[in-house]
Amino acid sequence: MTIGSYEFKLEKRMVLRNWEAALISILAIVFALLLFSLIFLFAGINPISAYQEIFSYAFVNKFGLPLTINRFIFLLLCTSAFIIPYRAGLWNIGMTGQLYFGALGAFGALMALGGKESIRAELNPLLLIPLMLFAAAVGGALLGALAGFLKGKYNINEIVVTMVLNFVAYWLVAYMIKEGGPFMNPGGRGESFELPPSVYAPLLGDIPFTIFLALGLALLLYFLFAKTRLGYEIKAHGLSPAAARYAGISPVGIPILVFILGGAIAGLAGYHYFAAVPGVYKIARNYGYFGDLAFYGIICGLISQGNPLAAIPITLLFGGLSVGGRFVQGKLHMSFGVDYALLGVLMISLVAFQFFYRYRIVWTKIAKESPDVGVSG
Amino acid sequence: MQRKLLEEIERGETVLEARGITKRFPGVVANDGIDFEIKAGEIHAILGENGAGKTTLMNILFGLYQPDEGEIRIGGQGVHFRSPLDAIDLGIGMVHQNRKLVPAHTVIENIILGHPKAGRILNLRKTGAEIEDLCEKYGFGIDLKAKVWQLSEGEKQVVEILKALYRGAKVLILDEPTSALAPPETRRLLASIEAMATDELAIVPFITHKLPIVLSVSDRVTVLRRGKVTARLNTRDVTETSLAKEMVGREVIFRLERAQVEPGAPILTVENLTARSDKGFLALKGVSFSVREGEILGIAGISGNGQHELAEVLAGLRKAEGGKVSFGDKEITHCSALERWQMGMGYIPAERVDVGSIGDFSLTENVTMNYYFDREFCRQGLVDYGKLCNLTEEMLSEYDVAAPGPDTKAKNLSGGNLQKLILARVLTRKPRLIIANLPTQGLDVGATEFVRNKLIEAKKERAGVLLISEDLDEVLSLSDWVAPIYEGEFMGIIHGDECSRESIGAMMAGSRPEGLAS
Repeated sequence: MTIGSYEFKLEKRMVLRNWEAALISILAIVFALLLFSLIFLFAGINPISAYQEIFSYAFVNKFGLPLTINRFIFLLLCTSAFIIPYRAGLWNIGMTGQLYFGALGAFGALMALGGKESIRAELNPLLLIPLMLFAAAVGGALLGALAGFLKGKYNINEIVVTMVLNFVAYWLVAYMIKEGGPFMNPGGRGESFELPPSVYAPLLGDIPFTIFLALGLALLLYFLFAKTRLGYEIKAHGLSPAAARYAGISPVGIPILVFILGGAIAGLAGYHYFAAVPGVYKIARNYGYFGDLAFYGIICGLISQGNPLAAIPITLLFGGLSVGGRFVQGKLHMSFGVDYALLGVLMISLVAFQFFYRYRIVWTKIAKESPDVGVSG
Repeated sequence: MQRKLLEEIERGETVLEARGITKRFPGVVANDGIDFEIKAGEIHAILGENGAGKTTLMNILFGLYQPDEGEIRIGGQGVHFRSPLDAIDLGIGMVHQNRKLVPAHTVIENIILGHPKAGRILNLRKTGAEIEDLCEKYGFGIDLKAKVWQLSEGEKQVVEILKALYRGAKVLILDEPTSALAPPETRRLLASIEAMATDELAIVPFITHKLPIVLSVSDRVTVLRRGKVTARLNTRDVTETSLAKEMVGREVIFRLERAQVEPGAPILTVENLTARSDKGFLALKGVSFSVREGEILGIAGISGNGQHELAEVLAGLRKAEGGKVSFGDKEITHCSALERWQMGMGYIPAERVDVGSIGDFSLTENVTMNYYFDREFCRQGLVDYGKLCNLTEEMLSEYDVAAPGPDTKAKNLSGGNLQKLILARVLTRKPRLIIANLPTQGLDVGATEFVRNKLIEAKKERAGVLLISEDLDEVLSLSDWVAPIYEGEFMGIIHGDECSRESIGAMMAGSRPEGLAS
């Protein structure tokens, strides 16, 4: 293509440096925000003030910021849960089910140690909180292991299995918390019994300690893939199962292992939302909403290209915009769904801009006398 | 209407010429001012080592790449290919080294796929008859209703050629057409190529580095070395040695001296081993043999006679159906691949791109494939990539691998360089037993010589070597013992000094010699 006296060409990239990837992502975000300002313009709202509202609520406001951070923790855990199997070439679509199982595990452990009997039960948090975390991880890991086992041993498509298990887990939670279920709230209301305040997760200001868990895990995963033998085995299997097998890496063991790890982390996301976020402390009636939110883990994992550290800013952005979008929708009296539309546009833009991970535009000034011998077919 | 460029070409006229073609890739000049021409009715071979720029040049002539400099003329007129579609429209057909067919479709469906005349409603009977005519004319025997996955490599190639011819190709470019073929298939293909060349419409350049093939069918040869044309010769004026010299740039020794090593204790003992193929039939029907330290056992056979299954069973990648495998005096029939690596076996797979390496991994990471489990490079679960990077650098220089550095991705390496890297990676472990499956397949003269010498060196260092090869000359020149394999059975195990080309060739085709103990 030529514009003026310059010729533009697409050229395949041989290497993509980290800063280039970051720059492309930032451009994609800017592009998405510009595109979405059309929607504000159509609604007769000044986009600049709308974005001001969104960002200041999501990242500055003392009510909005904790919401953002809680979603960020949740999304980062879900993204990590997606990334581990993804690096092994497998798709975990089952963070939803795994986090439900994590929540069931945590509340099951709590009930077993007397947490259901009374809201005023004085339980030992030093014992019970680690135990709930452990049970949540085990719950998620169990569900993940099933998909990993079927994949590794019998080569049954993991996408289908994890997807279907999401429904199983959804209805199992429904059974557990609704009328007559073992986790039923004494007052009914279609939700689980509440956490006794004695085992509320420790807070840092308004933020539960699970933020360290999420960030720590992201760092740990980065280290896993960059430095360890296990990380190497996972990456090798992900890029070429046949070559990995040749090198002595188990084609059965890796799928099981990555789904156990991914499931366990998704289980922790279940603990985080239902047992650590201030104001929740139960498996709420609308638990399906958070299950759906877990799907953003897939999006964020794909955008970060399986890099656990890149997932941190991306999940923070997605968490913030989902909170801020919902807020301006109410404040500026816009119609329902602004938050989802905003996330959707952002997602499409980020994915589309990944084209530039593989190609770049080069331009050259055309010489005056171009040796044009072209007779095209 | 562009078509017409080649319509009235007479035999002996220039149909396609390239002038000053230059193509640069980051870090290399793949083609450097190449001049090249093909005349109607000639078979023109392009010869060169791996990475000499043959494939790049052909991809430019087929419109897959745009040259940075230079021009292409067809029938005397300058043309510009935006994509292969332009090239196809002008009558250029290309058969790639890697097949580009739909395995689940029939031969005829593959041939008409994408054909402009095919339209929306397929008239398979009429097209079938037309294709049958083509087959008859050039002597291709193929069942048009067979599904492509059922075909052998040679038959798949025929499908590709038919596809190009049916699209009206006047210039047919064949990239390494014989690299995956068994000897009888090669003979048939060469006969068909000659038939096409006599037909004044078909003009056949082809690319290969198998010298005897070049000598037997081509009229002219263009030799490339490091992206430049080093010679343009008439085939009748050259010999195998002179061609090899042009290609490599120095004298190449074709005869290797078998190293005399006093063999030691048996390192691999196989008793009555059976195994199934991927499709479930018994591919290996009970073979027994042993390999001693400092000894090369060559398994000669045409592809698909069970040697591949044998290699995989020995490498721990395929289940043994029955029988027993011992390494030294330890039974390993059911050991995992990893255990075998750790006890000192080294496997060089035939599929160097799909199994032997990982294209998206750097060279260091590819080297890591055989070292990640070693205590020297992995402590407490942490891989020492720094040390592995140094090791990779040493390998690159010692094995003369042409690569920018250890951070290069493996997919950017040419076949010969990749094989050298795999060889370096396996041999540097100093394995006590080496299983080399088709180690020189598809390699050029220089790389082949290199690989063979490395295997001989390993033998001198008292490793046992199991060499699986389709190349009779390779087996005969390297092996202390030769075992021809046919339909999953050894036709005998013969001492290297007592082998003749003819007897081994006959045994590869299934005749069992009288009076020879197997």
